[in-house]
Amino acid sequence: MAKTRIHVGLEIGTTKTCMVVAEVKPDSSVKILGMGETRTAGVRKGEIIDYPQVRACVKAALLEAEDISDVDINSVYLAVSGSHIEGINNRGTYRLPEGEPEILPKHIDEVKEIASDIAIPSDHVYLHSLIRNYVVDRQPHTTMPIGLLGKTLDADFHIVHGVRTRIQNSIKCVREIPLDVDDVVFAPIASAQIALTRKRKEAGALVIDIGGGTTDYVLYVGGAICASGCIPVGGDHVTNDIHLVTHIPLSKAEQVKKTEGDASGNAERSIGTVVVPDEGGFPEVEIKRQILNDVIRWRLEETLQLVKARLPEGMLERVGTGVFLTGGTSLMAGFGELACDVFGLPVYRPEQPDVSGVHAYFKDPQYSTALGLIRYAQILDEERPESRGSAKVGSFFRSLWPFGG
Amino acid sequence: MIPYERTRQQTIPNSSVKIIGVGGAGANMLDRVALDGMDGAELLAANTDMRTLTSSVSAEKIQMGRSLTKGLGSGGDPDLGRQATLEAELELRDALRDRKIVFICVGLGGGTGSGAAPLIARLAREAGAFTVVFATMPFAFEGKRRREQAGTALNELAVLANALVTFDNGRMGDLVLAKQGVHEAFAAADRMISEAIQAVMRIVLRPGLVNIGLDDLVAALSSNRSRCLFGSGIAEGENRAQAALKNALLSPLLDRGRLLAQAETVLVHICGGEDLTLYEIELLMRGLGKHVPDTAQMLFGTAVDPNMKESLSVTLISSLPEEALQEGISAAASGGPPEREKPDAPGSDPKDGFVDIEPVGNNPADEPADEPRARITSSPKKVKGTSGIEKIAPAKSPRKIERTPKPSKVAPKSPEPKGPAKEVEEAPFAEKVPEVELAAKVEPPELVESEPQAREGRPAFKESSKNHSLPPLRGREGAEVRRRVKLPPKRQGSSVSLLDEVFSSKEEDDPEPDPVVKMEEWEEAEVSPIGATASIEITEIDPEADGDVVAFSTVEPGDDSGTGTVSSIEELQAAADYDPKPQGELLLEGGPKGRFEGEDPNLVEGEDLDIPPFLRKKK
Repeated sequence: MAKTRIHVGLEIGTTKTCMVVAEVKPDSSVKILGMGETRTAGVRKGEIIDYPQVRACVKAALLEAEDISDVDINSVYLAVSGSHIEGINNRGTYRLPEGEPEILPKHIDEVKEIASDIAIPSDHVYLHSLIRNYVVDRQPHTTMPIGLLGKTLDADFHIVHGVRTRIQNSIKCVREIPLDVDDVVFAPIASAQIALTRKRKEAGALVIDIGGGTTDYVLYVGGAICASGCIPVGGDHVTNDIHLVTHIPLSKAEQVKKTEGDASGNAERSIGTVVVPDEGGFPEVEIKRQILNDVIRWRLEETLQLVKARLPEGMLERVGTGVFLTGGTSLMAGFGELACDVFGLPVYRPEQPDVSGVHAYFKDPQYSTALGLIRYAQILDEERPESRGSAKVGSFFRSLWPFGG
Repeated sequence: MIPYERTRQQTIPNSSVKIIGVGGAGANMLDRVALDGMDGAELLAANTDMRTLTSSVSAEKIQMGRSLTKGLGSGGDPDLGRQATLEAELELRDALRDRKIVFICVGLGGGTGSGAAPLIARLAREAGAFTVVFATMPFAFEGKRRREQAGTALNELAVLANALVTFDNGRMGDLVLAKQGVHEAFAAADRMISEAIQAVMRIVLRPGLVNIGLDDLVAALSSNRSRCLFGSGIAEGENRAQAALKNALLSPLLDRGRLLAQAETVLVHICGGEDLTLYEIELLMRGLGKHVPDTAQMLFGTAVDPNMKESLSVTLISSLPEEALQEGISAAASGGPPEREKPDAPGSDPKDGFVDIEPVGNNPADEPADEPRARITSSPKKVKGTSGIEKIAPAKSPRKIERTPKPSKVAPKSPEPKGPAKEVEEAPFAEKVPEVELAAKVEPPELVESEPQAREGRPAFKESSKNHSLPPLRGREGAEVRRRVKLPPKRQGSSVSLLDEVFSSKEEDDPEPDPVVKMEEWEEAEVSPIGATASIEITEIDPEADGDVVAFSTVEPGDDSGTGTVSSIEELQAAADYDPKPQGELLLEGGPKGRFEGEDPNLVEGEDLDIPPFLRKKK
């Protein structure tokens, strides 16, 4: 831990590809050195549909990041998303052998193995298996049981898995640049690292990262992840809805969405019309604010309701802090009010993270995933410095319990 | 401290208000008013036609022209109507004595309405009452003569009445979906007028915090050959101010607020429960301000009525000169006219229908017997007349002949359920429709002559049936027809004859997109279901129909731009809300997806996430 490390996070999002280069100093402070960003082409709902284009985008982002940060980038942490990725909870039970009353590291490994051994579809692969907590002889909330005496050891795991080939596609794309992939991280888990402090994870919080093509969520309760997933709906859908209902072109719809749209459902903001000025053959159009806002609100409300419906029952009540919104679409006016209506919890925007560097980057929720990757790498470093470099997908060593706490 | 009673003594009691329905159309409006519950106000039906008069629910009835028309209608002749009224003058004077306000409801264009209304208005004025006339103008297809008669009567009324509220039947078509029956269309139109009467009463009778009086009403309805723009909306809940205004602007008479842009004077009345806030009024007025020009005079009134409880109502009344209205319509809604025409086509003005078209019920045996004959002979003629359908003609005509026994089988049955009070309202419609169909399809000149009573109605329908083959109708018409065809099985229930079922299912399968062909089929299909329903229980349609009308009133905010896709949106919504049984599968398969077009459906819990929720869930 004595030397400065440089980490690079790469997110291939639906609307933009961004690569963050950061320096983690020995005192574990983080400094952003630079960022490369390009608009993505060839990604839809978080999944690659046009391979050469995506590769070109990654390349462009890489060049920009290298140029700005003046760092020679060799390896990156990669965030992945897509509706195929799922998070499930599982409990593994291990009975300690006779004559070994004390729990030893090998028993922990054993119980992890058992807990992770759930039936996932054959074409799926483990992305993360994160320990939530241990139970020793039915005494819950044991964070680290090594050294305790007991007869049975249970482990609750949260396992994130996705379709092997789709995850491999992302990795392949990066490897061909060529870049090494340090690790593959499910995007909302990365976002949560920047959005939530350890305290908030303990108290319980829901992080919703609503981006261009997907809405990713991760729910922390009692310091551990208890739900995560992805809904293939994002800001693009809002734009598309506006386009379909009002018949204005997509580019105009995007502009109207950003500048005029409001998701709060407040009648006061729905009075009157929005005028889309004429421009190069496109005739002037008037849209009723009421309709515009209804279209936006219905879409986002439905999305949040889908997230809510997917959370395990009773868990939302255990959230102590509230809902944290990140991602580009969370910039939508009135989105906070909407989220508050749906979840009935306080809504937060992530605070300015504890990093230094170019402020414009980390203030914007659009970059939370990429920045989160840096924090993820940092935590990984702190806890298991020896595990760096082995980024084999699906290996069980990445039962990264620090991400539970 | 002495409590100050703000309103008591200024209130005009309901008992000094009289609502008079003149003619068949007036009687229908009156029935609706009675059904809506107008507490206190006295209702009086005045008509020449004894049959419709007996079926009216109003407490007081005056038969006009007892010795002149002998209980029959005035046959579309205003002179006859006028003379009939003079016969009953004394009775009318008695009825009008000591009334403060008299509302006269009338459908202009026919004999009794056009002839009697001006006279009654004069009598009312002479009795010292403030007279407000609610008049409907005939449909365009009813012919020039009726329009002229209506125009003449309207001019007289404009002079005689204190205030004249004119509704154009042509615009009533917007009140209901095109596929809904005539029945509902007219029910909706009557409801609209009834609402207007209630709103005017509310405004005039109950002085508010900011008062609107009769003078303001007169100002808003500058009655020089103008048409009334009326919209009334009621809403409760969180955004009630917004919602109420939205509902009010949905009124077809306002063309979604667009017609207000030309208004010079707009009367706005806001009535709410005791929790009405200034903020809400402000919000509402600001919303309305977008539709009304800055130069317009706003006659603003507000009242607090504890009976309103949590709801808030807003009433907009204004008027436009007829010419300006026509311009406004043609400028505003290019897609409107064809759609408007349709519901009208299969039926006539119901109100005048009673008066002018001789009711079939009088000699049920004769009419249906005529009908088949006429149809068989006429079908080749029709084929010749409409270009482009020669090919199908041979296939069609045998079908028609096959089907003809059906109505005649049905007809003898019709007298038997008729008569009891239950049928009071429906019977005229049911009886009328077969005849109307006949007229639309057949147009036999000799028939017209043989039935002098119907001489007004017939030519009018000739026009309407021609309208159907006009090119602009095609796009919409094709879609409409397909929907319409699916309806009959549901309506008729078990009593459909096998023949009909086969027939209608055939039509469903028919993939032929040619709108002209569809038209033909539709006309045929329409004949039998309605003919059949005439003999079956019509009442069972009613609850359904009412629900639909309500559903409709909240639909379609999305059609501000681009008529082409709007129709598909409406279709989608209509399929979702209106008739889920036969078209349920549309939901899964269909819907615009924009940039996600052609992808695998993004299914979550049976819903395709790529389709805008706004279109999927529209209530």
